[in-house]
Amino acid sequence: MVSPIYIFIIALGIGFLLSLFDKAGRAVAMTIFYGALLAMAFISGQWLLHLLQGAEAEIITTAGFQPPFSINLKMGLLEAFFTFLINTLGFLAGIYLLPKFKSQKIYGMILFLMLIMGLNGLVMTGDMFNLFVFLEITSIATVSIIAIEKNLKSISAGFKYVIAGGIASAFYLIATIFLYRFTGVLNIAMMAETLNVASSQAVFLSVFILMIAVIVELKPFPANGWALDAYEAVDSGVVAVIASGTSAAMLFVFYKISPLLNNTLLLTAAGIGLATFTFSNLLALKQKNAKRLLGYSSIGQIGLIITAYALLVRAGYARNSEIVMLTTGGLFINHFLAKAGLFWLSGVVEKEKLEEWSTLRNNPILLFAFAVFVIALVGLPPFPGFFAKWQLVMTFANQGLFFWIGLILLGSFLEAIYLFRWLGKVLKSDLKAELKAKISQIFPILIYLLAILIGGGYLSRLINQGTSLSILYLPVLFIVFLFFIDFLPVAIKNTLVILVGSYYTYLIIPQLSGYRVMLGVIFLAGGVLLFIPGYFKRGKRTGFYPLAVMMYVGLAGLLISENTLQFFTSWELMTLGSYFLIIRGKKSEPHALSYMLFSIGGAFVMLFGFGILYYVNGNSMALSSLGNIESMAGIIYALLGIAFLTKMASIGLHIWLPGAYGEAEADVSPMLSAILSKAGMFGLLMLMAAIQTANLGSINLPYVLGWLGAITVFIGNLLAIYQEDAKRLLAYSSVGNLGYILFGLALMSHMGWLTSITYALNHFLFKALLFLAIGGVVYRVKTKNMYEMGGLIKKMPLSFVSVLIGIIALSGVPPLSGFAGKWLTYNAVLEKGWYLQGVIVIIGGLIAFLYCFRLIYAVFLGQLKDKHRQVKEAPVWFLIPQVILIGAIMLFSTYPAFILGPVGKMLNDILPENALIWENLDAYSIYGHWNGFLIMMITGGIFVIVFLWLYFLNRKAQKVKQFNIVYAAERPSRPELTHVGYNFFAHYKKALGSLSQPYVTKFWNTMADIFHSSAGFIRRIYTGDGQTYILHIIIFIVVVYFLTIGG
Amino acid sequence: MVKKLFSLIILALLVIMLLPLMTDFAPFAELSRVAEKYVQKGPAEVGGQNLVTSVIVTYRGLDTLGEIAVLFIATAGIGFLLGKSSGKHKRSEASQLVNTGTAFLLPIILLFGVFIFLHGHLTPGGGFQGGVVIASGILLFVLANADSQISSNLLHWIEDLSGAFYVIIGLLGLILAGGFLDNSILPLGQFGKLISAGAIPLIYTLIGLKVGAELVGILNNMQRSQ
Amino acid sequence: MLLTIILGIILIVLGLWGMLSQKNIIKIIIGFSIMDTGIHLLILSIGYIKDRTAPIMNQAVQSAGQVIDPVPSALVLTAIVIGLAITALMLTYAVKLYEIKGSLEISDFKELKW
Repeated sequence: MVSPIYIFIIALGIGFLLSLFDKAGRAVAMTIFYGALLAMAFISGQWLLHLLQGAEAEIITTAGFQPPFSINLKMGLLEAFFTFLINTLGFLAGIYLLPKFKSQKIYGMILFLMLIMGLNGLVMTGDMFNLFVFLEITSIATVSIIAIEKNLKSISAGFKYVIAGGIASAFYLIATIFLYRFTGVLNIAMMAETLNVASSQAVFLSVFILMIAVIVELKPFPANGWALDAYEAVDSGVVAVIASGTSAAMLFVFYKISPLLNNTLLLTAAGIGLATFTFSNLLALKQKNAKRLLGYSSIGQIGLIITAYALLVRAGYARNSEIVMLTTGGLFINHFLAKAGLFWLSGVVEKEKLEEWSTLRNNPILLFAFAVFVIALVGLPPFPGFFAKWQLVMTFANQGLFFWIGLILLGSFLEAIYLFRWLGKVLKSDLKAELKAKISQIFPILIYLLAILIGGGYLSRLINQGTSLSILYLPVLFIVFLFFIDFLPVAIKNTLVILVGSYYTYLIIPQLSGYRVMLGVIFLAGGVLLFIPGYFKRGKRTGFYPLAVMMYVGLAGLLISENTLQFFTSWELMTLGSYFLIIRGKKSEPHALSYMLFSIGGAFVMLFGFGILYYVNGNSMALSSLGNIESMAGIIYALLGIAFLTKMASIGLHIWLPGAYGEAEADVSPMLSAILSKAGMFGLLMLMAAIQTANLGSINLPYVLGWLGAITVFIGNLLAIYQEDAKRLLAYSSVGNLGYILFGLALMSHMGWLTSITYALNHFLFKALLFLAIGGVVYRVKTKNMYEMGGLIKKMPLSFVSVLIGIIALSGVPPLSGFAGKWLTYNAVLEKGWYLQGVIVIIGGLIAFLYCFRLIYAVFLGQLKDKHRQVKEAPVWFLIPQVILIGAIMLFSTYPAFILGPVGKMLNDILPENALIWENLDAYSIYGHWNGFLIMMITGGIFVIVFLWLYFLNRKAQKVKQFNIVYAAERPSRPELTHVGYNFFAHYKKALGSLSQPYVTKFWNTMADIFHSSAGFIRRIYTGDGQTYILHIIIFIVVVYFLTIGG
Repeated sequence: MVKKLFSLIILALLVIMLLPLMTDFAPFAELSRVAEKYVQKGPAEVGGQNLVTSVIVTYRGLDTLGEIAVLFIATAGIGFLLGKSSGKHKRSEASQLVNTGTAFLLPIILLFGVFIFLHGHLTPGGGFQGGVVIASGILLFVLANADSQISSNLLHWIEDLSGAFYVIIGLLGLILAGGFLDNSILPLGQFGKLISAGAIPLIYTLIGLKVGAELVGILNNMQRSQ
Repeated sequence: MLLTIILGIILIVLGLWGMLSQKNIIKIIIGFSIMDTGIHLLILSIGYIKDRTAPIMNQAVQSAGQVIDPVPSALVLTAIVIGLAITALMLTYAVKLYEIKGSLEISDFKELKW
């Protein structure tokens, strides 16, 4: 074993001599320099391995005297871990900076080596004054190396940095000397043993000053303008070390001094951290400069880590206990890797504005890295931040710290807003510039990319019940595999996905029971079916398959989840995959963002709910415990309900849906509408099944949901009739349809649920059919506006038949399956006695006729447009699934018992009363009976007779050529006005007046405005004046002190 | 003006905050636990008459190594920041008085500097103080001779080698004696004599040279960039 | 030894006042130096014990009860050198800022904000 002191000996010895080596040639100096960095990384790595195997920590003392008489350096497990991180970062950052080191003065390398040494010292030293020395080494080396770029911005940022650092260390020194007076030692551990913080005001004040000095170094809000300037202006290679390395060392310093803090001070630290987290993320909303945005995010993340650590220690967890390490350590690693990676990317991109980062699209690997780092920062699976945040929320919940959880989730949500907005811009903004990436820059980024992927997997096994996530391992491996084979053409990948998907379906479905079987069929069998249209694409379709599969993996994961962790992880995987599917559409960037924000918001609400569940039910994570909640059941159900309703786009939470479904690619829209929307339904089913058995007290959640469902049906269908865009029409129609499902579930009766589940299946069939048919049409005519179509029945007769069948099924007229849904609904409503809601739902159903008519009329009937004379039928790959879907609809309509019977049986376990009774093909409810087969036969017969009669009449009809009145004289300024299908239901809009207003959209826009304008207002405190920043630090110290002693 | 008034109020609050350090504070009446041991055992363990030196160079030797590093980093940083000088800058000739005074004082100042760092373990003073005195002598020389150029090459050699030797001596302590920076690699000698306290005089000589060279380097850099 | 502590704190606050009230960068750095000096004074005061002498164990010192605490004296030396290094670096920054923009007013360097 090489003694850890050699880290310092190597750094100092080589640092001192490097300029002499340079005289022998730059190559010699550089070889020795990188050798030194590597050696330092090697020593700490060797200790890390050694200590992981259970070795004793190594204590090094100066001149062989024991502490407190000498300075001691410690190499324990944590120290080894931190120094290893710092030294590997040092080596990689050194490589990143290689071109600069090569061309600049030798001082650059010397300063860099000293900086890394200083960070090692901060981690290892156990002496308070020695810590000060290393603090200054770090600080001076940092501000010196900032001058690697000698432009005005970086020099003025450097000056602010040195002044602020000087003040922080001045306070640190004051505290140190007074603490020496009170304890007689400088060794931190011994100081903590002898010090009684409450013994006098002076002692308390000294400890406070110590803590605040360390916290100022960690850049708390609002005393952090200097740091933000540095993040923005300093060279990317250097700032990566500051953001990750220096933060790591300073966090470790905070960890080291924390035994001195009492509960009051820990609470203060937690409060500062939380304020920093929330405000940094709020202010970042207004940020347009990429590096400054990363700065805000860095500062926020550090704040979160401080809060997590301080509160856990305050709650009584040992400082180095497993829980503390998993949560704060996981958050820290996540931040460390992602932030260094992103700052490195900023050096590759060399662009300030967020949208200019779209140049990353020139390099798929770097784009992938960017997406991974951003998603990791937001805290989505499978990255360390996700698991750490999960564990943190559960642990906080266990301690009843709900207020803190709420604010942490709020801050995380704000962070998600700007990060996903950025990701969206990068994925969709115009590509303007080339990207020149050097190998020396790509190498470190790839290493950290790999590290964060492995880190996520590793951490997932360590957290509470993390091994239960093994159900997702194989599917996730398949996703990874798909990333690797992404260079293959579509046909191969599509076939592979269909084959593997079919096999997986075959494996999973038999494992399911109850209503899960039904959803399993929709999610998996339906999913496989909807991959078939994928064959129409040419080329590679980069990125589609891994992410589409990710969505299905999430959906399947929901079905087989047994605990909240599995469920939540699957939920987030599904969300993430579907986000990337949605954003593939041409104009879908804003809609994908709004989808993601509602989803993440919903997911955080769900997480909160699971947290409370964990607290209430004695640390149970089993989903089955939802059914027997001791207390706070109403809140838990409400929170989970909101989360599920978000995915189901219930009114109020629906504004993301039309754009997301409408702008998605032709074969993606059916996946979203027909399949993805059922995820919310599945959650709700699970929830309602639990409510059935739980004691809810005074809160009548089903009643509320019933109203919500009814209103959603009404408004969704109403808004659908005003749409000009065919896909948006279908999207709004989906809002209404999902309202039916919600309404049915809310009825909480056998009939209600039967309605809901059969309607879900039905909706899957006809919405997939409609979206596929319309998608095919849109693909051929290159527009989604119905007023630009018309008369397509002659060109696309098969698509016409599909749409016809689809709308008949949708509108619920006999003989197709929709009628079964209607009939069941009426029965269920009568049974429940919700007459008013029932009436609203029925009116909603009538409105559906309007848009169904408009859809088929405006697209397929009327005059064929001139430019569409050469249009062909939709691609065959679109038609194949349509044929299958039509077959399924016909079968289901003729023999409803095939489906309704088994579903009824599934429900008998949960809601046995007033079940539907089957006698052969007749269904009996308490109100009447119905025979699907008979209806089909009668209606079919009438149809055939009428059809033949019309055909007979038509033989004598005279064919009339179409008048081309549109272009007869002059070209109309607004051609859409010549189409009768344009603004078709304007009279309804007038008549209904305020009911048709987009109140919900206005509400959410106002919310966004409030956040943005408050961010714009608050961030004006960062005036850019170095003197103001000094003032901020002093105000911060004084105000926090008086708040601490006052409260 | 408002800002100044506000600053004043904040500073007043800061004073109120710091009050306990003045009112609620009793100075040491006896030596602290650590100091007690240094005073009792220091002469025997380290062999230096000046206890402050024993603490600086041996007991808390890592601080001093760090301190050297700080100065080294600052020198490098200043060199890095200022970059190459932009053309020569002519200063006016120094007066006769300065010239003559320099010729007379320079040897004495340098000698005094050396005396201070050599006697660091015996009397107040040491490597840093000695180094500063030497640097001040060189500064005087530069002031007197306007067109003089100090060889930065020589400075580098002195600075780098003395630093490296310091580290090596520390390393020898780790290998030959009790630990890193242990001064007892050399015999402690007779208490109170010039050649005593083990490696301390050697270390202080290296520090003196290094600090002197570094401070001269800083001055040199600053002067060139005028 | 309360007096020097009070004096130290006065110097610290005065230094801060200089940093907050002066617009010229050089004067701000001077303010920083004054603050630093105040801290050094504070450190020395902590080590002082009434009626005792310097911790140099020559013939004049008979017992341990006669000397002051050597630790703060050792610390202050380190602190002074570090303070010097920082001040030098700050001044270099001032030189560089002046070189680039030709101004030493701190409020002239507001390129980065919000």
